[in-house]
Amino acid sequence: MDFAAAKSPTRKVFAERMTARGDTDSEFVVFESDLAKSTYSYIFKDKHPERYFNMGIAEIGTVASAAGMAAEGRNVVVCGYGVFITMRALEAIRSFICYPHLNVKFLSSHGGLTAAIDGVTHQATEDIAFMTTIPQMKVLVPADSASAAAAFDIALDTPGPVFTRLMRDPLFELYGPGESFKLGGSKVVRKGKDVTIATYGDMVFQSLLAADELAKQGIDAEVIDFYSLKPWDQATLAESLKKTGALVVAENHQRRNGFGYEAAVWTLMNNPVPTELIGLEDTFAESGSYPITIDKFGLSGPKIAAKTAALVAKKR
Amino acid sequence: MENPSNLSFDARVDRLNKIAQELRMHVVDMVYTAQSGHIGGSLSAADFVAALYFDLMNLDPANPGWADRDRFVLSKGHVCPIWYAALAVRGFFPVEELKTLRKNNSRLQGHPIATYLPGLDASAGSLGIGFAQAVGIAMEGKLMRKKDYKVYTVLGDGEINEGIIWESSLAAAKFKLDNLVAIIDINNLQLDGTLAEVMPTEPIDEKFRALGFDVLKMNGHDMADVLTTLMKAKRACSGKPTCVLAYTVKGKGVSFMENQLDWHGKAPNEAQYTQAIAELKGAA
Repeated sequence: MDFAAAKSPTRKVFAERMTARGDTDSEFVVFESDLAKSTYSYIFKDKHPERYFNMGIAEIGTVASAAGMAAEGRNVVVCGYGVFITMRALEAIRSFICYPHLNVKFLSSHGGLTAAIDGVTHQATEDIAFMTTIPQMKVLVPADSASAAAAFDIALDTPGPVFTRLMRDPLFELYGPGESFKLGGSKVVRKGKDVTIATYGDMVFQSLLAADELAKQGIDAEVIDFYSLKPWDQATLAESLKKTGALVVAENHQRRNGFGYEAAVWTLMNNPVPTELIGLEDTFAESGSYPITIDKFGLSGPKIAAKTAALVAKKR
Repeated sequence: MENPSNLSFDARVDRLNKIAQELRMHVVDMVYTAQSGHIGGSLSAADFVAALYFDLMNLDPANPGWADRDRFVLSKGHVCPIWYAALAVRGFFPVEELKTLRKNNSRLQGHPIATYLPGLDASAGSLGIGFAQAVGIAMEGKLMRKKDYKVYTVLGDGEINEGIIWESSLAAAKFKLDNLVAIIDINNLQLDGTLAEVMPTEPIDEKFRALGFDVLKMNGHDMADVLTTLMKAKRACSGKPTCVLAYTVKGKGVSFMENQLDWHGKAPNEAQYTQAIAELKGAA
């Protein structure tokens, strides 16, 4: 499958949409922790400096002060890297944003190994586990530009806290400009009848590459982009599994406590099917180029195809 | 509530001293009834909390969400018995409800949750976070709404061990939050010992001055001093946040609790309860 190359990473598209929304919506503000040039929040700052607050290199203080402003009724977008937002400031998010259900939205860059080049300290590979576990938090992971822009709109328009995982580097485009996205929605990006590959973010592309590879082996894989991880589209997965009878979840995240655990347990409780979960196998990754790193750690299209083929063989 | 601005300064002091003792009795009663809660740090904060809630702050208990009210965040949220007592006596909710502290189905959670109870401007209980929220609330007031209401926050002296205090202090100075008044309750005892034993923190005044605060000091149990100092803090408009160092005694007002580390988070038994109430009544 040939994908059109993306001009911008999803973090930048999200920030651009944030800026455009800021032109017509003067009610929300943006908090940054000295990563403006990386999260692209500077684009918002240039346009709306009076609604932009750089809190310095101080993620916990940034998140907690955002909670204070949000407690006054303000919508606040907090920008940063996934590792710092979801781990250093985790408790402030849990007890002071999610518990009181405040309108704080997170632009969380460097999701998974899309930040491969920066090394493990900058790769958020446990963020989905933390964010989907906290009550009241909603979680989005767009794969391309159209869904990243839509994710900002969903985040701003959904009451309460919303976390959006974004990518460091530009990958590919998937959706046309007319495509619509919603909280709790998903997209079947490839129809198939033999196995369902449930995935999100950059792994959508690797899963589609895997499906191409599998087709050569006579395996017809269905690929679903779960761009909304919490809530997630159980009806679409159920319908797909009814047809395929086998589930692969591929994610750029620790295999433990990721979306795979959620989807697999849900499947087990409802209509068990042979299942394979693909993610980081209880390991940290390393710095390097994105394609080499994801392949080394088992997340590339060929690696997903091999595990999927083995699962289908078991099913048959 | 009678309007304290019609009273002489001395009459205001007398009135606030009586109210502070009343709040202290509620604190002892609540923690005794719950057999759980933080009594020592509630008693050390009682006098300036009384001065704020019953004299200095612009509030309307009938309209707790009044947009132009002064805000209050108890950053040392574990001493919420004194906050709850002040809110109840001030009329935000029925005084009888104080007895439900820490019980199931109560609005008076073990650590204060803003969405549960009218009058709480932010949740607190995780040390340091309340102060950072107060900074955010002050940013909203000064920079977004451009209003002149004040944001008061009360910190423990042990609490300033937390790194977030220093992060958020830098932000308070950067954004020139002269609407922010941070009162540090310096009773010199934290859970595991004195400040000097656990984590030497002095000189606190020089640290906050260096961070960009105007620093005021007061005897936290001399109501005339408390009132004078907090009136000065209320008038602040220097472009700097204000830090008030309140020198206090943990357990103040109950002889056997004063300066006793044990009474950080212990509930009195029946005999202790009776003696404590008798002492507080005698002094009231």
